[in-house]
Amino acid sequence: MADRPDPERAANPHSSERAANAHSSERASAREEVVIDERVRAAYRLPSPADEPARARLLARLAADPSKRTGWRWWLAADAFRARPIWVAAAFVAVLAGGAWLGSRVTPRTANDAVAIIQSAADPTTAPVTFVLRAPGATRVSVVGDFNNWDASSTPMEHSGSGDLWVLSLRLPRGVHLYSFVLDGAEWRPDPSAPLAADDSFGGHNSVIVVDGAPGL
Amino acid sequence: MRLVLGLALVVLLAPAARAGDAASDRARLDARLASDVARQVAALVEDARAAGLPTDPLIARAFEGASRGADAAGIVNGVRRQSGAQLAARGALGTGTQPDEIVAGASALLAGVPPDSLARLRLARPGGNLVIPLVVLCDLVARGVPADAASVAVVTAARAGASDGALLRMRERIHTGIENGGAPAGTAGDVVRQWLLESPAGKTSKQKGREPDPQRKKAP
Repeated sequence: MADRPDPERAANPHSSERAANAHSSERASAREEVVIDERVRAAYRLPSPADEPARARLLARLAADPSKRTGWRWWLAADAFRARPIWVAAAFVAVLAGGAWLGSRVTPRTANDAVAIIQSAADPTTAPVTFVLRAPGATRVSVVGDFNNWDASSTPMEHSGSGDLWVLSLRLPRGVHLYSFVLDGAEWRPDPSAPLAADDSFGGHNSVIVVDGAPGL
Repeated sequence: MRLVLGLALVVLLAPAARAGDAASDRARLDARLASDVARQVAALVEDARAAGLPTDPLIARAFEGASRGADAAGIVNGVRRQSGAQLAARGALGTGTQPDEIVAGASALLAGVPPDSLARLRLARPGGNLVIPLVVLCDLVARGVPADAASVAVVTAARAGASDGALLRMRERIHTGIENGGAPAGTAGDVVRQWLLESPAGKTSKQKGREPDPQRKKAP
């Protein structure tokens, strides 16, 4: 390969001169790179500059054990904890399981409890609702609905004192609810002033209330 | 890494949360229903949960059946009907339907409203909440307005921009008209026509309807 004459060089002597110059500049830059490389290596072998205050600060910081911080410093420390992600995940699952267990312990067991909780709650997920029914001749009237597990004994209405009006105010979770009135523990009657729901599959119609979705319902 | 850890936690905890919900539902059902009925209802509830449907209305339906004195088969059948209607309502109303809309849509379907009416209602009020229109639609059908006439009335009003309050007032007027001896279908149509004539929204909608179609203008 080296013996073969370059046809381009033979045809143009100026071109061969330029090629030679390019070769020599490449060699020079390669030598330069080697020199720089050696200088960098030598610099890394040198000891660090003897800055005593800086060294002292570094050693003090290394010596400070985060686990030995007490009081408010511990709460503000950015590195108060060091944990493997798997342990963090395990702790999270344990907290969740504990919360679920605790939640199941305090979940209302009866409709009465549920209504009591609804009535005492002042959170924005519930809204006050007043049920009114004119029921001549009735001695007992209650409201049943999905908000009290359809338990006729859990939410009795109050007789207004005069006339045939029965009234009940309570807080209901926002959303769509089905309900009905039960007169004297036996007769189910939808609310005459509210929209009707479809046949409930048990031979009756319930009323619909949309809490905080529709003024006038 | 954090994203992967977060996703892994979600994947790990989702079945645990579902199992917790199932156990809680089963305890509620066992407290009110016979063991065999509770087991069948719990299975239906679990299927609904797996399908992403609201489950509280199913449990409530079972409790309602028990309170009304329905037998075991009646309770299970009632829950099954409710679950099927919810599934159909979600299918008709489309993805992204809110749980309350599914419940209201299911009630409308159980009342006899055809599923395509729910889809038309969604198109009439794109992006808007459909709970009140569905409640009104269901109410009209339950009061004797034929399902087709009720659908036309509510969809027309919704398309013309009727608010929830306006729909509820229309419902009351239709109810009063029917109680006063009006034919349900005719009364519903009359009330909606009257609203279109009187209300600013209805007038605007009618005027808009009379405007020439710009696409048609450009056509040769």
